[in-house]
Amino acid sequence: MNGGAAGGLRNALTVAGVELRLFLRDRSNIFFVFVFPLLLVLMIGAQFGDSATAGRVAVAGADGGLRTQLVAELEDEDVVVSDPEWDAALELLARGRLDVAVRVSEAASAAHDAGEPVVLEVVRGSAATAQVVEQQVRTATEAVRSSRGQVLALTDRGVPADRAAAALDTAREGVEPPDLEVTNVDELSQQFEGLGQFDLGASGQLLLFTFLACLSGSATLIQARRLGVVARMLAGPVSTAQLIAGQTLGRWAIGLFQGAYIMVATSVLFGVSWGNLAPSLLVLAVFSLVAAGAAILLGTLLGNEGAASGAGVGLGLVLAALGGSMLPRELFPDTMRTVSNVTPHAWAYEAFAEIQRRGGGLVDVLPQLGVLAGMATVLLLLGAWSLRRSLARAM
Amino acid sequence: MTTVPSAHDVLVVDSLVRRFGDLTAVDGVSFRIAPGETYGLLGPNGAGKTTTISMIAGLIAADSGTVKVAGQRMTPATTEPRRHLGLVPQELAIYPELSARENLTLFGRLQGLSGKALSARVEEVLELIGLADRAKSLSKEYSGGMKRRLNIGIGLLHQPTLLILDEPTVGVDPQSRNQILESVEALSADGMAVLYTTHYMEEAERLCDRIGIIDTGRLQAEGTRDELIRLTGGVDTIRLSGSGDLAAAAERLRALEGVERVEADRRTATLTVRDAPVLVASVVGTVAGSGVTLADVEISRPDLESVFLHLTGKALRD
Repeated sequence: MNGGAAGGLRNALTVAGVELRLFLRDRSNIFFVFVFPLLLVLMIGAQFGDSATAGRVAVAGADGGLRTQLVAELEDEDVVVSDPEWDAALELLARGRLDVAVRVSEAASAAHDAGEPVVLEVVRGSAATAQVVEQQVRTATEAVRSSRGQVLALTDRGVPADRAAAALDTAREGVEPPDLEVTNVDELSQQFEGLGQFDLGASGQLLLFTFLACLSGSATLIQARRLGVVARMLAGPVSTAQLIAGQTLGRWAIGLFQGAYIMVATSVLFGVSWGNLAPSLLVLAVFSLVAAGAAILLGTLLGNEGAASGAGVGLGLVLAALGGSMLPRELFPDTMRTVSNVTPHAWAYEAFAEIQRRGGGLVDVLPQLGVLAGMATVLLLLGAWSLRRSLARAM
Repeated sequence: MTTVPSAHDVLVVDSLVRRFGDLTAVDGVSFRIAPGETYGLLGPNGAGKTTTISMIAGLIAADSGTVKVAGQRMTPATTEPRRHLGLVPQELAIYPELSARENLTLFGRLQGLSGKALSARVEEVLELIGLADRAKSLSKEYSGGMKRRLNIGIGLLHQPTLLILDEPTVGVDPQSRNQILESVEALSADGMAVLYTTHYMEEAERLCDRIGIIDTGRLQAEGTRDELIRLTGGVDTIRLSGSGDLAAAAERLRALEGVERVEADRRTATLTVRDAPVLVASVVGTVAGSGVTLADVEISRPDLESVFLHLTGKALRD
């Protein structure tokens, strides 16, 4: 042995250093490690995030107090409001680009100013969310009516109209509305409570790309075996355990780097919350170890780099899909959810869900960490055995 | 084949056997190498040379038999004797994406070198293998010969007691091949023990103090070149051609001491003799005295190819 435990550690670090150097020399990694993951987080966030579910309402017709107040009320409800011509609004509805169109006629505007009954024309689209948005329009209309009624009541008592409106605004600001704690009776909705627009996509892509980054390293191990570099190392004072440890350490560092980069970049660029950072990083670290073990095993079982690259990408995508990195596990049928537990992604997904959505800490994710550590141990032992076997085969 | 190990032998291989399923790749191979000795393992592809080397280097376990390097037992589980061993595999066992300096530094670290000693040794080896001026280039950009030299340089880096070269000249151009052979001669002259496997007879004859001939996993014979040649009977051939009647000179030629057989017609004669270089002057004089004008004299001595043919019944490159 190369100087006992210290020598063993030195050997492992030397092998790991080569892995990192080879990884950094591959220029294709600039796109696949740094750019591609963030593009996917952005796309998934755009598809499933907040802005996609915000209501879209067109308010067409006469300018005036009624229209101005209605738009203000809708925007307070986070509804996206536009002001096209009425015909254009109907066309947008037909194409599914609007949920509701509201027409404020001259007569309605005048009636509102006079405190008389108002009739608004409302057309609802066919999207699933249109019914909810229509309800938001009704609520906004009721708020406008109520506000107008309060002003009229005060002016009837001799308060000038401008002072009456100002007094009502002051009163609204001075009274805190009650906080509502809403529990959604829909179990599925409960599962996603606490998630920001990009949070779900970010954790899924972190698992997908961390695993892929590690698996891509199986090709370098195959190249080293094929060229006889592994045999040459083992002919020196380097044990199989040290070689495996070095290879694992290198792959693990690459996975950890990839995951940490996605964490930092999505946090800065998209405001993703990773919850309690220490357990999040621990989940990433143990998940990377599983991925490193899988890379070592793949690198000892396959015989050429091309096959390993194909198998690595295929395996990475299938495991990620099965483990909830592409479609949330909560949407899986029960059987598929059970099957997906064979993947490390599923356990890491659950751990991140606990931390991100429910504010979980280290104790809360110990079961998931335990399973992931077990998977890593089995894969690394199989990798060491397979490496020795591959050397014997090569003679 | 028996060997008599000495206490100072760098390598002692004793009755090695290795089977792969039904195939016995190495079957009872024994030999030893003394310090400063170059030992050649000569045999055709598939003879068992690389498997023997893999067991000596501790890469695979022997089914039976033992290997001792510098007096220490070598198995896949032992790492200490590996400090004494430098392996130059048949493949180009280098990282193509690393430069020569980076490759040397990496393997130097794995051999336990560090700091200034490592840097100094790396520069020394770069000079030795003639790559000092290309030390920073990625090795994938090197010519075949340069890669081969780097491959050998890595094996020399930690100044091993025993250097194993497994067919180091395969696929190399004649100029690089000559450089490699000169390097091995220099290392041997410096006292390094060398185990050299090849299927090129000329390399074994040029480099090796002793040669083991291996075929179908068995060591068929072992000894110096002359010892091996004596196994064939040790006779040379002199072929003569010329104008005049060589058949008439045959009787006088048969009478010369050292001539064992003469076959002749008018224009040509073939003599089977002992030690042709010594006898050739007498033969030429005798023929000239018989009135024959010689046009050509050709001497053939037995070589390792003849030995291999004699021992196995087939040519070395079959």
